[in-house]
Amino acid sequence: MFKYILKKEFLLIFRNLHALLVLFVMPSLFIIIMSLALKNTYSNSIDVKFDVLLTSEKESKDIKDLLDKLQDNNYFNVKFSKSTQNKKDILYSQNYSFLIEIPSSYLKDIQKNKDINVDVFSTSDMSIQNINLLKSLISSNISKQLIKNLLIQLDVNTQETKDFNKSIKHHYISKENSFNITSVQQSVPAWLIFSMFFILIPISNTFINEKNFGTLNRIKSINVSMMPILLGKIVPYYVINLFQVLFMILIGIYLMPILGADSLQIKGNIALIFLLASVVSLSAISFALVIANIANKSEDATTIGGISNIILAALGGIMVPKFIMPQSMQEISELSPMSWALDSFLEIFVKGGTFVDIKEYIFKLTLFAIICFIISYILLIKKGSK
Amino acid sequence: MAIKIKSLNKNYDKYTVLENLNLHIKEGEIFGLLGPNGAGKTTLVSILNYLEKKDSGSIEVFGKTYEKNKKYIQSISSYVPQSYAFYPDLTAYENLEFFAALYKIKTNKMQEVINSCIKMTALEKYRNKQAKTFSGGLKRRLNIAIGLLNEPKILYLDEPTVGIDPQSRKYILDIIKEININKKTTIIYTSHYMDEIEYLCDEIAILDRGHIIKKDSKVNLLNENSVVTIFTEDEEFKINTQDSYDDFLELCAELKKENKQILNIEYGNKSLEEMFLKITKQDLRD
Repeated sequence: MFKYILKKEFLLIFRNLHALLVLFVMPSLFIIIMSLALKNTYSNSIDVKFDVLLTSEKESKDIKDLLDKLQDNNYFNVKFSKSTQNKKDILYSQNYSFLIEIPSSYLKDIQKNKDINVDVFSTSDMSIQNINLLKSLISSNISKQLIKNLLIQLDVNTQETKDFNKSIKHHYISKENSFNITSVQQSVPAWLIFSMFFILIPISNTFINEKNFGTLNRIKSINVSMMPILLGKIVPYYVINLFQVLFMILIGIYLMPILGADSLQIKGNIALIFLLASVVSLSAISFALVIANIANKSEDATTIGGISNIILAALGGIMVPKFIMPQSMQEISELSPMSWALDSFLEIFVKGGTFVDIKEYIFKLTLFAIICFIISYILLIKKGSK
Repeated sequence: MAIKIKSLNKNYDKYTVLENLNLHIKEGEIFGLLGPNGAGKTTLVSILNYLEKKDSGSIEVFGKTYEKNKKYIQSISSYVPQSYAFYPDLTAYENLEFFAALYKIKTNKMQEVINSCIKMTALEKYRNKQAKTFSGGLKRRLNIAIGLLNEPKILYLDEPTVGIDPQSRKYILDIIKEININKKTTIIYTSHYMDEIEYLCDEIAILDRGHIIKKDSKVNLLNENSVVTIFTEDEEFKINTQDSYDDFLELCAELKKENKQILNIEYGNKSLEEMFLKITKQDLRD
């Protein structure tokens, strides 16, 4: 009997072209777009720099020196202008992201222990991280100029002064194998998990159609246990989920480099990825079955399921990386199964972790899947047997 | 006796759906269950198919108690819901194959059983076409074909001809008659269409507001409602045959006194519909 239940489910899935498109095309697009969009976040070679206008009443030697130093960075493209134009005009008509106002005698003033004011203006949508980055760049370069002048006064060879920023090198250390963190490395697992949970839409639609067409009642009127019916829904969607995992990984490895992004590197254990994908899949399917049992119409399932998936994804670090969330939000995000799944995948994909590193998440996801399955089974049995 | 129902009660919260319902259905007959919307027909059929729980009362199916013989009763019954209870994306054959598997029909017999059901419902030409491409009539036939897979002793047909053209209706009614005659299947048939009940059923029960308000053989019900119609030039007068012969003579005398010439006298049955409306009253139901 189970063979025919599976056959029916597989036929229904493969004849539902729209659902397959949602399950494979949508996450692929997300991976491509997000990997390319976040490329600079995880890279030292940034191809888009902020335009900065440095202004002063005159272009003194110190200002020229500061300008040279400020231009030597990966984040800002700095130009000088003597004219003190309207600030709004500079930022919004001339499209500068930052405007720096600095007195031309700033070095002399500092050396005379006078207070100086360096004002930084930016467009109102500028992130505080970028503002702080520019401020620290200005501050460090003024400090360098001061030290250099001091060394000249002390008759010390200034050629010996080094740019220590260039001497400080950062290295990512993974647990087992060494590879660099990239936007692809972050985006593939994130959107992969999101797409696996999107299995909710075809599952709930099939299930709700069965309820609304009376097919489920007909099945209930036959002397047959509901367990194989429910299990019959898990197996085909589990297979689809595994294909999604394979498809998204292949996109990360082969398509992303063609599109100009980094290639996905998988140096974690393949068996571990399979185990993790299986547990995430069972969680996603069981969750979908609960929603399908609760909802009475496809519209309800799409609304409830869509909203709950987006909330779980937003909390789980899929849409916004967890490391930029405040502490309280990071604690809340620990409640999302998508967060457990993402942490596990990143542990393998980014840190090269082992089973020991993800066993806690595997346990949580398995427990979540079992609880959801039991709830959906009870709902299925109870509904209609009033 | 195929089904014996005694003092059956069913309530949804404070709303009574079936109240002290008693019903006997003989083996091998086509039993028509008539009733306006909300009468309790579907609830009764759902309870008989274990889709809903009864609050109290007893049910016996072929002498077996309802509570203790669920497996047996389900194995000899088949429920054809009013809706198209199959998968539109599957072909007729794939649908039948799936339900045959649920009925635990052995793989080596499956093909034969499916072919027989396809033949009985004349779906041969459509066996490999997706059900979503079917007309209303074909969908109804597939719905019935699925119900025949387990060769049921009792077949519940819940308004099986809703929304189809008269030709398809006639075809389906003939299929149902054939099943009843050839397979000796007891059929419980619910419908709003009086002409169908009149055409098909041996016994008829009228259910209203959770009560059986009339139950008899079709012949008795129609005879009970026989009528004599007297036609004059500009009027017609109906006298129920249950009224006395004296009443008939009295009317004739009165007409003569009024110089109204009797043009014709017809003897006939009131239609089931007239009787149904008379019994259930004509007030509009929700």
